[in-house]
Amino acid sequence: MPQYRTQGKIIADILTTARDMNTDGQGVGITTLLRRGNVSYSRMTKLLVELVGSGLLLEETLEKAYKYRLSDKGMLFLKAYIQFEDFAQSYGLKL
Amino acid sequence: MVMFENALQFIGAFVAFSIALVAYKGVRETSSSSMLRLAAAFVFLGSGFVLQGLGGIGAFNTIPGLEASLATILIAGMFLQTVGYFFLAFSHVLDVVMTRRLGPLLILFPIFAISPTSVETVLRSLSFYFILYGVLETGLSYSKNRNPNTLMIASGLGMLAAGWWVSLAAPDIGLLTLLQLLMREVGLVALFVPVLRFSFRKPGETLIAPV
Repeated sequence: MPQYRTQGKIIADILTTARDMNTDGQGVGITTLLRRGNVSYSRMTKLLVELVGSGLLLEETLEKAYKYRLSDKGMLFLKAYIQFEDFAQSYGLKL
Repeated sequence: MVMFENALQFIGAFVAFSIALVAYKGVRETSSSSMLRLAAAFVFLGSGFVLQGLGGIGAFNTIPGLEASLATILIAGMFLQTVGYFFLAFSHVLDVVMTRRLGPLLILFPIFAISPTSVETVLRSLSFYFILYGVLETGLSYSKNRNPNTLMIASGLGMLAAGWWVSLAAPDIGLLTLLQLLMREVGLVALFVPVLRFSFRKPGETLIAPV
């Protein structure tokens, strides 16, 4: 059965990818985010605009390509999200 | 026995407001609608427990004008609890609707619950079915996520449901009254466990999560 993902879960997945896949410290490209985030290109671009606008992700241009890094605010959000996801899951709910 | 029942109401209020507080923090930090419903459910439950506890110890007898309406206050407390249990079930219904599973079941439950005897019995019956639905849904969640906390909550709700069932089936039999109070006590303590885990979590403990 396909698993329904909430908007919050999708955002958390994108932020987690930006955190975990940023191995060289230069950020993560949109292709990696698309592959790991499992959302369409059009939805991802809209989400990235929102996430950068809200300060959860930092956008940088490197060799004519956009790269995304998790900001400190994004790290705090991700930490809180994971904690509350576990709490909600305890009551059988999705965050 | 009456004192024990009143103490249980205040313990219930403490547990409910603690859960509501953590859920409200979740609303503020993640803007999650699930957490908002959870917070609302436990605010209603806690308020219901407080009203019933205060009514039980006779706190309203000292307030002029309220002593005559004690029965109304107790029923209001019961009503608030029922609304709280409804919100708990409602949270699950939204999850169910999203995955198209057992949503229509909840609509059927109140039909069987309505009893002509009294408002209190109707409210108790509704509460019982809402909790039962919560047990079913939480149990299904556990079968998916295998999270021991979810099993703990399902067991806690199960104990609460069993306590309600005993109170409905045998309302005034001494030993069974004690049994249903103990069941509800154990159920409430089980509901409190995730709050304790959340409060005493080490900083950064959950930072590593799979995508």
